[in-house]
Order: sequence, then structure tokens, then C-alpha cells
Amino acid sequence: MASRKYVDVFEAYDRFSEGDRIPEETWDYQIIPSNARLMRERYDINFSKTDIVPTDADLIDRLFLAGVDMLMTTGIYNTDFSRVLKLDEDEIYDGLKMAPKKLSIGSGKEKVKCKARRGNSMRKPIIEGGPTGAPVSEDVFEALIVSYAQEPSVDTIVSGVLNSVGRHPAVTNTPWEIKATMAEIRHVREATTLAGRPGMGI
Amino acid sequence: MGLIPNGMKRSDLHEASQMNEMKVNNSFLNTVSGWHISGDNVMIEQMPIFGGYAGGAEETAICDVATTLATFAAFNGDIHLDGPIHIRWGNTTAKDTIRVAAHVACAMDYNTDVLLANQYYTVSGSGTEMCLLETAAQAIADTASGRELLSGVACSRGVAENRTTGLEARMMGEASSAICGTDVETTNKILNRLIDQYENKFATAPPGKTFPELYDIDRSVPCDEYLAVYEKALATISKCGLDF
Repeated sequence: MASRKYVDVFEAYDRFSEGDRIPEETWDYQIIPSNARLMRERYDINFSKTDIVPTDADLIDRLFLAGVDMLMTTGIYNTDFSRVLKLDEDEIYDGLKMAPKKLSIGSGKEKVKCKARRGNSMRKPIIEGGPTGAPVSEDVFEALIVSYAQEPSVDTIVSGVLNSVGRHPAVTNTPWEIKATMAEIRHVREATTLAGRPGMGI
Repeated sequence: MGLIPNGMKRSDLHEASQMNEMKVNNSFLNTVSGWHISGDNVMIEQMPIFGGYAGGAEETAICDVATTLATFAAFNGDIHLDGPIHIRWGNTTAKDTIRVAAHVACAMDYNTDVLLANQYYTVSGSGTEMCLLETAAQAIADTASGRELLSGVACSRGVAENRTTGLEARMMGEASSAICGTDVETTNKILNRLIDQYENKFATAPPGKTFPELYDIDRSVPCDEYLAVYEKALATISKCGLDF
């Protein structure tokens, strides 16, 4: 059946609020493992021990179909509602059609285009360099980010987590966490500027 | 300071996270909705756990594909950031987790045009050859399996303070560039040789050194000792078959 309209985050919220109610433990320990096992059997998914990157085109396609079926059959769980969002097949494919095929990241001279590659294309991926959420202390934060921003192969920056702000611990779920996050962004901007690449995306 | 924006720009990547496995909460939905209606670039991440709720490699990969699809089919994501993580070692660079990521990327790449990223968590610490080898292996697999963006590197599982530097990102970029265009069979031979160099050392992985110990902070340059380690890692990877 054709979908009425592609599902956005607002429609997702509404579906969560009216979805089937399930205890989280049931989701984690019964639904996820049993459905994943069922899909493995239904689509005959078995990885080769020697192929790290798959060489079997049919296996690759079956894995995709198993993932589509897993999402249709299982849905997504919302821990606040304890309810499940369901999607049908057309809605999944509509979402894929709506997804961008390219993205501009950063601005000015440092703007980079992230475009869909096909297989192992000769065009290299975007390199996002940084601590990737690892903790960083205030005293070295900007210098550490400069060490990434100055690398020629690095296109954009992924930040680390500032442990404190003004020597006050950045405690989760407090205003100090927000203050530290804003400071983090300013420090990253300053670091990319110091490296001569002020427009780098972060 | 007046020229430095006090927040994210539309052209930055705004990142929010799904939860393990195939779960979200309202905070995630609220955050993403604000970015979506503002026209910001939205990157949605999820790091499926190999050996966790889903089970083994194949089951983890199936959940990973489903989660990736949900980013685009329900949450208005512009790019999906993956990161299958090993339940025992807490890294993304184990052979099993690299294999899961590569299969998922190929499944999505062969059947869609969506944008795919992966993130890097090594067991070993910054300043060590092992960390650079772990990084190179994942970069090779991510690039060969069609991903569009590589994000890293969180050395020491991303939990140790000040134990990451720009040189690990240089390796991620150099290994990625070097493998571009290589056929899959050759790539797998390189990967198997390379991962064999470090996979049996996770239990005794070296912690490495901190950023101030590895860089001259005033001049923003790596110390000679770390550059020598980097050169040694390049030589090891070359012996595994990757031509820099």
C-alpha cells in the first residue's frame, strides 16, 4: 500500500504516544534478540570468517532486506512512553528517498561537500578529526583541537568533552553541562581559527 | 571574540544519539525536531553492541541496518553515524566489529544513496603503534565499504582524559586515502594481515601517553618520539600490503 506521507520526527512522536505499550526489559531481552535471530534465519545471514568487507553481493542484499524487515516487524522503542513506533515498508523507502545525497559541512574556504560514494570509490571520505567525545581538560582543550585542525587530511572537527568550565565540574543534567558545552563550541572555533581554518565545520 | 559565534552554525553537524538497541527517548526527539525545522545538518548516531542485546555479529548487523534505516525513515537524519562496539573490549576496531560495520555499510551502500559515517574507539592509547594500527584497519574497511565520513579517534576507549591527538586523525585520513579504489579481495588480505598485528593484544593494550607528553603544545607539533612511532606504524601497514 502506498504511504500517505513520509514520516518525520513529529509524526514519529505521535506514533510513539499511541503505540503498543511494552516493558523495556521485554524489549531488550526478548523482542530484540528473538526478532534479530528470526531475521538471520529468514534471510540466511551468515558472515564469512575471512571476508571482513563482504564479497557476496547476494548476502549484502539479503542483509539489507533483513534490516528492512527487522525495522518493520520490530519498530523503534521510546523509553519515556514505553511504547513502540511502527513503520511500513513504503514509509521506510520514502524516508530513504527524502534523505539528502550530499551535504555541505562548514563555511567559506573550509566548506566541504559530503557526497554519496559508491563502493570503494576513488574519492576519499570526509575526515572528521577530534577526540570523538573523549574527555579533555580545560587547560589543553584549544591546543589539542589545534592539533587536529592543522592536519591537511582533516576536513571537519569532532569535539571532545570539556571536563569542567571555569574549573567547575560539568555535571550531567545541570546548567554547568550547558555552560561547558557552549564553552566547548567557542574553544573549537578559536582552535580552528588559530590553525588558519576558521570555517571548518564542527 | 566577537567574531566567534556562541553556538553551532547551520552548516555544522548537529549530532544526537539513538540508544541500544533500536530505542530513543523524548529528549532525542525534541532535540532533533529543533534542528530539523531550523534547517541544520543533522547527524544521528547509534553504536550497536556486538555481544549485547542483539547477540552475535549477524544479529548485530541486522539491528544496525534497521537502526540506520530509522535515522532516515523516522527521525529526519541527514547522515547516520555508526560505531559497532565490542562488548568485552569497548572498541570499534576489533575484527568482529569492523566486519559488522563493513557489512552494514555495504548493505546500505548497494541499496541506497544515503550518507554513512563511522566513529573510532581504540583499545590502546595515543602515542602507541597499536593505536595507529587499530585506526588504520578501521579506516581501510570503512573506506572500502563505501562510507562517506570517518570520525575519530577516541583512543583508550574514549574514557581517558587528554589521551587523543591529531596524529591519530592523520592516520585515519592517510589510510583512507591509500585504500581508495582498491578491490575488495586485496582489501580483505590487507585487513586480515593488519588486524592480526594487534587483535591478540587487547588484554594488554598499552595505555600510551597524554597530549602534553606527545606534543609541544606551544608550537602545536608532535614530538620526535611520536613521529618515529608514526613512521614505524606506516612501515608495518605497508608490509601488510597498503602502499602509501
